[in-house]
Amino acid sequence: MERLKAVIVKEFIHIRRDPRSLVIIFALPLVMIFIFGHVLSFDLKKIETLIIDLDRSPLSRDLITRFAAAPLYKIYSLENQGHAEKRAAAAQDYLQSAERWLRQGKIKQYLIIPRDFSRRLAANFPSPVAVVIDGADANVATRLYQYNERIFKSFFFPTKSIEMPFEVKIKMFFNPEIASTPFIIPGLVAALMLMISALLTSLSLAREKETGSIELLFISPLRSPDIILGKTIPYLLVALIVGLVIFLFSHFFFGLQVHGSPLVLFLTAVIYILTGLSLGILISTVAPTQKVAMLVALLGTILPSIFLSGFIFPLESLSPALRAFSYLVPATYFLRILRSLTLKGASLRHFLFEASVLLAISLFLLALAIRKFSTLRRASA
Amino acid sequence: MKNLLRKNSEQPGRFAFSGISPGRENQPAIEVKNLTRYYGSFAAVNQINFAINRAEIVAFLGPNGAGKTTTIKMLTGLLRPTSGQALILGYDVLKNLNLIKNLIGYMSQRFSLYPLLTAAENIEFFGGIVGLHPREIRAKIKELAAIISPHFLHQKAQDLPSGIRQEVALFASLLHDPEIIFLDEPTSGVAPERRREFWMKIYELKRRGKTLLVSTHNLDEAEYADRVIIIHEGQIRFQGELAILFCQEGVNTLEEFFRRLSPYGTA
Repeated sequence: MERLKAVIVKEFIHIRRDPRSLVIIFALPLVMIFIFGHVLSFDLKKIETLIIDLDRSPLSRDLITRFAAAPLYKIYSLENQGHAEKRAAAAQDYLQSAERWLRQGKIKQYLIIPRDFSRRLAANFPSPVAVVIDGADANVATRLYQYNERIFKSFFFPTKSIEMPFEVKIKMFFNPEIASTPFIIPGLVAALMLMISALLTSLSLAREKETGSIELLFISPLRSPDIILGKTIPYLLVALIVGLVIFLFSHFFFGLQVHGSPLVLFLTAVIYILTGLSLGILISTVAPTQKVAMLVALLGTILPSIFLSGFIFPLESLSPALRAFSYLVPATYFLRILRSLTLKGASLRHFLFEASVLLAISLFLLALAIRKFSTLRRASA
Repeated sequence: MKNLLRKNSEQPGRFAFSGISPGRENQPAIEVKNLTRYYGSFAAVNQINFAINRAEIVAFLGPNGAGKTTTIKMLTGLLRPTSGQALILGYDVLKNLNLIKNLIGYMSQRFSLYPLLTAAENIEFFGGIVGLHPREIRAKIKELAAIISPHFLHQKAQDLPSGIRQEVALFASLLHDPEIIFLDEPTSGVAPERRREFWMKIYELKRRGKTLLVSTHNLDEAEYADRVIIIHEGQIRFQGELAILFCQEGVNTLEEFFRRLSPYGTA
């Protein structure tokens, strides 16, 4: 116990004496969350939409205003004017231009309101409205389709009493605006917390390898668990503080709300941080230098946390092999907890499974690190 | 007896060791049998043999890259020999690592103190990891304060003058009162006039019955030792008293001897 304490005290002094690394440790996640939080948004804004109005009636103009009023669209409209023959030629021209612009990416979609639009509607006939969407980005296209649909419905249903045999009322639970920020930010928080935790410990043993001081640890009567735990425990506190800073930052800048109990969040965060620290210390026992350790810790946490945790791609859409791998990614579990806590407000008993898996992963990684350190000490290849 | 000792070796606690290790009186302090270490196909240490008696000071000499540090690392259990055996008080180093750790002290040229910790904090750390009680550690720090002037105690090791730093490093490596002390280039980077003082410390340790193997490439320091072992290109070229070397080889100085070993190299 005294030996473990000696290692812990020494690590704390080192943390305190090296404020430069601490600045990086604190600044890095904040910068990343700031950039990613703004860039990584699935919400569409200012979609360039061209509306070709061949009807030029009050009704068609009303439809255009509906689109223009929605902040989602940026509307360009073309109105057909002049004599009948000219109009037919111009319409042809418009359509060709529209297709060209769509191809060039100047517009994302175009709508064609046909000439007899208002007349048909007035006579209670259905009238077609053509919508051509750029489907190159499937995600954007689906969303566009949904947005358009909403506007059409609000336009048509109040004006004419089209009787529906039943009424479908959809209510989105947990994220009523289906905004992507509350969805993205927990993923970022999870990825960054793991990254920082792993980074903190990954450097510690690698640093001692570089300076050569590791030989003094090897040669001392310290047991391997004393060294591994003594180098992990102090960083738990540091990582918790960084985690808190990340949360506060996400709260004030991106409106991240915690609906569940803060205590549950704290407990699960401690376990999650421990997982990151354990991963870091394992990396540190294997990596020969600080640079290698840092690189492995960064890539090894960020990439799986972003791509294989359900952060961006739903786990259901992954191939079976990748999906199996996703169950080994700590962020998968913490993300589930975090999304539930921030969007739904669930309680601890809902997360017993996730928390246990994270704890199991941590203990496994720690045991592996201790083993690895022991063999390192014995063999010293 | 053997069982008892093995049991001890499995317990990493502090080995109660006063004066002579029981049952080990007749064993040489350090013994090396056909010790060999290859790095790839390069033999850093090649079939070397020597023995060092208790309470003896031996200077381990050789140019850089001769195999001094490799040998010391194998003796301290930091490096696994390719073949051969390293024994401390008759214990095979590899088989009794935990026991050996309590018997030996090690101070290396590369690193002996954490530069960001103060002298006192270094003592606290090294005292802590060898299992000293906090009370003992406090006493040790007081002891150190009497050796170096107290205002150095709370300076970071990196800011200490090199002579003082080396003093603290030696003190730190002796905290667990080891029987056998390996000093790997302890005086490199230390002013010549301070080297003499340092060797006075080493004599003091010998008077207390400690065995010391001091590696150095400062040839003038060899005169301080009881015996010298000269290693060159991984092989032992001479072991014994300096006077015998001079007679036997017909040289007047060590420099001459080294020049003969490698006419184009540097000693």
